[in-house]
Amino acid sequence: MKGLARLAAVLALAIVPAVARADIKALEEAAKKEGELTWYVAHYTSEGAEELGAEFTKLYGVKVNVVRTTAQVAYQRLLQDLKNNQAVCDVFSSTDVGHYVRLKAEGKFEKYTPETAAKILPAFQNFDPDGYYHTTSAGLVVLTYNTSKVKAEDAPKKWQDLLDIKWKGKVSTGHPGFSGYVGTWVLMMKNLYGWSYFEKLEKNKPQIGRSINDTVTALNAGERQVAAGADGSTLFSAARGNPLAVSYPSDGSVLIIAPSAIMKGTKHPSAAKLFMEYLDSVEAAKINAKHFAIPLRPEVPPPPGAKPLSEIKTVRPSVAEIDKGIPDVIEQWRDTFGN
Amino acid sequence: MSKLSLRNIARRYGAVDAVADFSLDLAPGEFVSLLGPSGCGKTTTLRMIAGFVPPSAGTIEMDGRQISSPATVVPPEKRRMSMIFQSYAIWPNMTVGENVGFGLQVRRLSRGEIDRKVDAILDVVQMRGLKDRYPAELSGGQQQRVALARAIVVEPEVLLLDEPLSNLDANLREEMRFEIRRLHDEFKITTVYVTHDQAEAMVTSDRIVVMNRGRVEQIDAPHVLYARPRSRFVAGFIGRTNFLEGSLQGSDVRFDGFSAAASVLEGSNASGALLYSLRPQAIGLTTQKPNGGRLAVEAEIAGRSYLGEYWDYQARPLGAAKPLRVSMGPNAVFEIGSRVWLEIDPAAMVRVE
Amino acid sequence: MTVAVSSVGTSAARPIRLSFDSTWLLWVGIIAVLLFLVVSPFVYLVITSFSAQGTGEFTFANYATAYGRARYIDALLNSLKLGAAAAALAGVFAVPLAWAVARTDMPGRGLTRILVLATFITPPYTGAVAWILLAGPNAGWLNRFFMLLTGAEAGPFNIYSFTGLAIVIALYSFPYIFIFTTAALELVSSEMEDAANILGAGAWRTMRRVTLPLALPAILGGLIICFLEAIALFGSPAMIAIPARFNVVTTQLFQFFGNPVRVEVAAAYAMPLLGVTVLLILVQRLLTRRKGFVALTGKGGERRPIRLGRWRWAMFGYAMLVATLSVFLPYLFLLQAAFAKAWGRGFSLDNLSLRNFHFVLFEHATAAQSVINSFLYAGAAATAAVILTLGVAYIVTRRLVPFGGILGFLCVAPFVIPGVVLAIGFYAAYAPPPLALYGTALILILAFTTRFLPIGFVNASAAIRSLNPEMEEAVRVLGGSRLTALRRVVAPLLKRSLLGAWLLIFIPATRELSAAIFLYGPNTKVASVMIFDMSEEGNFEYLAALALILQVLTLPLLWIGMKALGRDFMLRRNAT
Repeated sequence: MKGLARLAAVLALAIVPAVARADIKALEEAAKKEGELTWYVAHYTSEGAEELGAEFTKLYGVKVNVVRTTAQVAYQRLLQDLKNNQAVCDVFSSTDVGHYVRLKAEGKFEKYTPETAAKILPAFQNFDPDGYYHTTSAGLVVLTYNTSKVKAEDAPKKWQDLLDIKWKGKVSTGHPGFSGYVGTWVLMMKNLYGWSYFEKLEKNKPQIGRSINDTVTALNAGERQVAAGADGSTLFSAARGNPLAVSYPSDGSVLIIAPSAIMKGTKHPSAAKLFMEYLDSVEAAKINAKHFAIPLRPEVPPPPGAKPLSEIKTVRPSVAEIDKGIPDVIEQWRDTFGN
Repeated sequence: MSKLSLRNIARRYGAVDAVADFSLDLAPGEFVSLLGPSGCGKTTTLRMIAGFVPPSAGTIEMDGRQISSPATVVPPEKRRMSMIFQSYAIWPNMTVGENVGFGLQVRRLSRGEIDRKVDAILDVVQMRGLKDRYPAELSGGQQQRVALARAIVVEPEVLLLDEPLSNLDANLREEMRFEIRRLHDEFKITTVYVTHDQAEAMVTSDRIVVMNRGRVEQIDAPHVLYARPRSRFVAGFIGRTNFLEGSLQGSDVRFDGFSAAASVLEGSNASGALLYSLRPQAIGLTTQKPNGGRLAVEAEIAGRSYLGEYWDYQARPLGAAKPLRVSMGPNAVFEIGSRVWLEIDPAAMVRVE
Repeated sequence: MTVAVSSVGTSAARPIRLSFDSTWLLWVGIIAVLLFLVVSPFVYLVITSFSAQGTGEFTFANYATAYGRARYIDALLNSLKLGAAAAALAGVFAVPLAWAVARTDMPGRGLTRILVLATFITPPYTGAVAWILLAGPNAGWLNRFFMLLTGAEAGPFNIYSFTGLAIVIALYSFPYIFIFTTAALELVSSEMEDAANILGAGAWRTMRRVTLPLALPAILGGLIICFLEAIALFGSPAMIAIPARFNVVTTQLFQFFGNPVRVEVAAAYAMPLLGVTVLLILVQRLLTRRKGFVALTGKGGERRPIRLGRWRWAMFGYAMLVATLSVFLPYLFLLQAAFAKAWGRGFSLDNLSLRNFHFVLFEHATAAQSVINSFLYAGAAATAAVILTLGVAYIVTRRLVPFGGILGFLCVAPFVIPGVVLAIGFYAAYAPPPLALYGTALILILAFTTRFLPIGFVNASAAIRSLNPEMEEAVRVLGGSRLTALRRVVAPLLKRSLLGAWLLIFIPATRELSAAIFLYGPNTKVASVMIFDMSEEGNFEYLAALALILQVLTLPLLWIGMKALGRDFMLRRNAT
């Protein structure tokens, strides 16, 4: 009997995907008819976002209008669109979780759970139990440094090291008023060490850009030597031959789990759904791995040179904290840093 | 010794001779006009005298010292001359008093001296009350006077004027002509005056240089220029005239419609075509045939215009192709088509080139 | 005895014809368009500043919010200080150069003019990017060079500072002062200077007492224009002031459009900017009206250049120094970055790559499109502006309606509205329903058209004024309408001037950022916004490639303009 049950289970498992695959086929047909979709995205660098979009087009023949900006700018754009009753954005991918809390509460999302959402690493599943938004990207905020200017043993090992006077004029960060990654990091630091952390950081006169990826270019140029940067963009740039390296802080890398959602009233519902399927797919995970983002599918290994997530100590503010906290820290940041 | 000497001055621009072979000697205190149509080179000559333009050839001397040559030019600021421009060039950012006192300031006179001289010259040009006005508040004639005052107060060696009256209306022009001559007489400054208006030149000048296409046509006192023009251009440019073409045949010179004995005409012993200038005022019109030593030619009135001050008659000698212009007083009325006699004094017929 | 003849001026006001001429429809249409473009956004702006968000009821709350925080007031003060500093520096760059080029025998005057033109067509944000490459405190090339030479730890130059921003703005707005000053110097009749010379004043005294005082109102006018440009800029302050950690009005306005969108507060906050601009324009008008400073009578004759003697080369050196700062160094390092894999790695063969151009042109979904958008919208705006201003200038100059002066005023009014404020006005007026122009190309084109109306109008009026009205009267006597006269006689005669005006609008419109940044939508991004967006990741390699593409594409237009209208057509006050 056991063997029969097992056979039945295996058969069932074989059939279900087949059934599912039939649905996907129908979705693909409908999506191709719609022809295109618009994607507001803050996850990834421009290059990464463009590559994801291009791969989707190659696979399904649907054009992707990649609008890559920092998270707050994307949100601002979206709000303006909504205020003017324009349905421009089909899929919204921001790195500030607070956006999702608010937009969901206002009923601005289309409820859709892609099949692939169940296949990603368990740690990232069920971000929104109601199924309005799903994790499609994850990354870390870590300590990064320029290897030609800083020796590995001198590099900062924990967040507090950035406050050391020896890094005065040599630190680079993004701006929480623009970047969701930076906003989340700032909030985390405030939770861990209080706002005095930033008052002390201010004394080290960091160079403040906008996106967190600005730190990569600042380090590459030699303009600054250490940074609170994103692991993905930093390692990707290092793999290209740039003198960069990552130092995982001992008091915890800040884990950013960033979801995506379909906007309610989207003009391209099938394409949007297909795209959500795609974002959690193996193909997308491969591209993510290539760009040193954390691949969400267990089938895809992390890229060489990157530590697997299980080996890294991570910290993360709760969703509720992010929702309330980021607007506050943006104001505080402006008051402390003058802009 | 002459005050200012121009010796064979020339100025070329590319292939064009703006001024060619110009020579002139000015006596101290003399008033000389450069007269001619636009493009004749008079302004260029004036600017060479001023030192704004170097000559391509020839030299300019003042008081025996050379000031211009193709190689070296004493700059305008060092020549101690004055100039009045067609646009007056009164500086709008300075008051009348400051304008007039500018040259004295450059010469480093004391404040008190400057005030005294400025007031005196403003009295002379009758502008004393306007010393603190700005040029934008003055009329054209008043600006002209300021320009004069500014130029004269520095007691220049030579005063240069570049068509100063052409921007004024007719009445003002007449008034200012006399004014300029009056000031010249009072201060006895050597003056060079450029104009295209022959009436202006005649009224103001001791001598006139008539220029055409860069060259000197004739240099003479006004009445000599008028009565005895030496070229066709001068005869036609100064006043109106009749041009008579004649040819020597035997002892007579034959013209269109009449002839005159060669003995009574000047210059009639040359061969070939002879050209004479005869002023309309030198011909009389009568109904009776005149007797006496003058030429009498029967003619018919072909046309007439009444200009208030005089009649302008076209009288065609019988058998002639073209009529002659004759000026008569306002009361000498002749009907068109009537027969008249022309009375011509052969001495008034001037042979021109 | 002269007979007094009463002159019937051909430009005397004609009584309005009571008979209906279909041309009137056209004129009414034009006036309606003007009201739509100029008056309506302004009115909306004012109304919005007093409206509560959401409800629309009257309130002062927006003003309270806008001026309630010290940071916001600081931003306003920073803008004013920045404007003054930039204008003063620009004056230092421009006035000696203008004087040298217009009045002296400095060698290389033609070259200097060309270099000023090259500066003029460089957008200020491109200049800012280049100077970030040059003067970034640690990695900037100038600092590296200094450290190499002196062995110092750090270089003295820091672009991320108030001074740095002021210098960058001054470097790319000094051409305005240059244009104003050369125009004024060339207008000063040389007889004015000759008169001083003949009375004994040498070159320097003449310059001091005659030339400069006469040109001063124009120079001040140029300084004011520079100031107004500086306070209305968005791109360079956004790139430099944020890392430099101070705020200016335009970046603050951008924040008010952030999260959440607070148009009402933005409108209230923008009012002082408008007020300052209006005030300064009035001051400038007053300056030039006094004492009748227009001195352009007289024949002029040959203009005698002032002989500088030994100082010729010093002056030339100064000109080349300014050109080095504004043209040579920036473009050199923009090129380096555009062709580099990582600009920080410097000039080495293995750092050379065409990848940036490839990415921008082929891989980046919107970059290439943004360039096309820039040119399309600019072309549409230039065409619309030229046609509209031709019509208005015609109506006003030929006095076809009473109170024509008001129309002329409306055409010139946008000059006093900073681009940013204009954009917010348009946003308030036309983005929401009923017109719902949000995110469309049309709203961008309309905003650009309005922004450049003054240039079109000034050119068109000058050109029409130079035409003898009798030519059009000849058409009408023979039975043609005014419209026919306009189409068949006026427009063909003014072809050159119209082309000049078109180019004078098109070229700046392709690089307009301050207005575009508030009005663009995801499908209507223009190249300037694209460049700004790219700067947020610090991707200077891609940025430089895109910026250079934009510059290179402008060159053929410049060439056309120079061929048709003379080498210095962009450096004259108007294109005629």
